[in-house]
Amino acid sequence: MKETILSIPSPLGPTVTLCKNSWQASATPDVTLSIVSGMHGDQLNGLYLNSRLTRFLNDVAEGRETDFKLKGKIQVFPVVNLHAVQSGTRLWSFDDLDLDLAFPGNEKGEVAEQIAQCILTHTADSTHGVILGTGDHLYEDAPHAKMLHADRTTRKMAQSLGLDIVRELAESSTAKLNLLHHWGESSISSLMVSVGKPQTLDRTLCDSLFDGLVNLMVHTEALSTSANKNDKTDVHFFRANGNYCVLSTQAGLFTSEVKAGSFLKEGDKLGELRDIYSGNTLEEYVAPQDGYLVTLRHHPVLYEKEPVAILLTEKKSGFWPF
Amino acid sequence: MKTYTIASYQSPLGGPVEIIKQTFTAVKDKPVKRIAFVSGLHGDELEGVFICHRLTEYLRQLKETHSQAFLGEVNVYPAVNPQALGAASRLWPFFSVDMNRQMGNGNGASLAAGFSNALLDDLKSSSDIVVDFHASNLHLKELPQIRIIEEFGKKLIPLASLCNTDLIWVHPTAPVFEATLGYNLNRAKIPTLVVETGICLRIHPDFCDQVFKGMLNLLHNTGILNLPDPPEVKPPLLVNPRQVALIQAEHSGLFVSSIPLGSWVKKGEKLGDIVDAVNGTVMETIVSTADGLLFTLREQPVIYQGAPLARIALKETTQP
Ligand SMILES: [Zn+2]
Repeated sequence: MKETILSIPSPLGPTVTLCKNSWQASATPDVTLSIVSGMHGDQLNGLYLNSRLTRFLNDVAEGRETDFKLKGKIQVFPVVNLHAVQSGTRLWSFDDLDLDLAFPGNEKGEVAEQIAQCILTHTADSTHGVILGTGDHLYEDAPHAKMLHADRTTRKMAQSLGLDIVRELAESSTAKLNLLHHWGESSISSLMVSVGKPQTLDRTLCDSLFDGLVNLMVHTEALSTSANKNDKTDVHFFRANGNYCVLSTQAGLFTSEVKAGSFLKEGDKLGELRDIYSGNTLEEYVAPQDGYLVTLRHHPVLYEKEPVAILLTEKKSGFWPF
Repeated sequence: MKTYTIASYQSPLGGPVEIIKQTFTAVKDKPVKRIAFVSGLHGDELEGVFICHRLTEYLRQLKETHSQAFLGEVNVYPAVNPQALGAASRLWPFFSVDMNRQMGNGNGASLAAGFSNALLDDLKSSSDIVVDFHASNLHLKELPQIRIIEEFGKKLIPLASLCNTDLIWVHPTAPVFEATLGYNLNRAKIPTLVVETGICLRIHPDFCDQVFKGMLNLLHNTGILNLPDPPEVKPPLLVNPRQVALIQAEHSGLFVSSIPLGSWVKKGEKLGDIVDAVNGTVMETIVSTADGLLFTLREQPVIYQGAPLARIALKETTQP
């Protein structure tokens, strides 16, 4: 069911509406799973994934997906940063505000604050939450799940996605403004799933993640299935201190020779930096140790002291029992 | 005046991008105090850059004519976000990040976080007092004011009272401040005043002159400069959140103000209209909700429901 949860009249143009889709098996569900995408206007994989999930859940609700039944409640918020999505940019130029730094928001505040408050209110009674995003501006991420609170329930939930990589995020001075943090504060088991790069729709990546999200719905008991559950067991979990960042020491044009998501051995070449004017190679980047290449620079223009790649290293990952 | 580069990075197109610090040393080896003036964290906020220009110009002349006036050390950082200033944009272009949300721990290994924290570290190591100049965003115009987070009030209010602003606004803390320069310096026990004046992309010479005089007075009264003839300054209004009335739009439309910023207004007095330009109607007449000083006024007319239009410092405010 599509529902308008906030209408924002425009000064001169059409009214912009914040919508959610929801499906529920009963009036008092034990489980509520909220899935949010479009927090930034350039994160297109999440929009696509949520549209596929919506079609699938409509089919489940109307009996066309006979292997699945609704058990709890699922709600999907496909577009959060309405104006940024409409303008095709990461941020909305009107306020230059990062919407994921606008939580908890304010019902009586400016547009971004109203949206943030509305999303938080409509997800407050959730038991589980997923934010679908991409790599940061200029970066590509291997499909992976991130969490702030690596408790057993959340780790199990992440495992159900069937991704190779799950990582814990470090707390930062801006974390208290993020949706993920506020969900955590409300004891909602929550994940951010990052896939691909901004400004690009990668259907192959999304299609591979779609099954994982359906599996997560089954795992959290928002859906039930007559088919066999297939939780992946060989998932690599990394603690927040398991990051290794490769930085440029010069500036130029970066070309990569690896793919995000690869497992690299110490010494494997990541790519090289060339001088824009001469074409000469300025420096080569290699993996400083064995690890998963979780984030790779995709925009070639590179300043000095910028991250080229982030590797997740098992040496520091510690033991995460299930 | 000595010029230092406190942080730099190479651009892909050549020359380095640098944060410059201009240092005016004390006459004696050990300065009584060290003060830093910072501007341009947001690259479209030019009022502070102009105030830093006025300070550097003045201090250079003073050094030549009365070098013995320098009992303390003065450091001026006039353009700390050089590429954003070059593009006149609030955000650091290319990365689209706000440099004043990068301070403190845990913001990753990005160039923006590294560069921002290099500035923070330099200020921590070479300042006893910091003044961080900001203008308002694109939307609002502000009378010269200093904003202080409650927990730092005891230390900061006496210093802020010297700065010739119209207002000192003491407000509760919020998570949004935790990644800012001012908050991180104050937490590190370096008293830091965040000055807010005017609006971005413009220079108001009268506001800048007012703050410039306040800075000279601050330098004189903290013993950093011994000025023979310090400027006369006025005491500010001191307000807490209960003493500030915020007026917000109930409709989306175009806001057209009808009263100048800085006016003393009466409750019920008209401040402006919100108009529907498509239908040629007035949707809402905005009136003051209290008697007091109009210290914030909407300048950018395009508004959405909920947008702040004006702030009024209530008349019964106290002086520090
Ligand atoms: Zn600013």
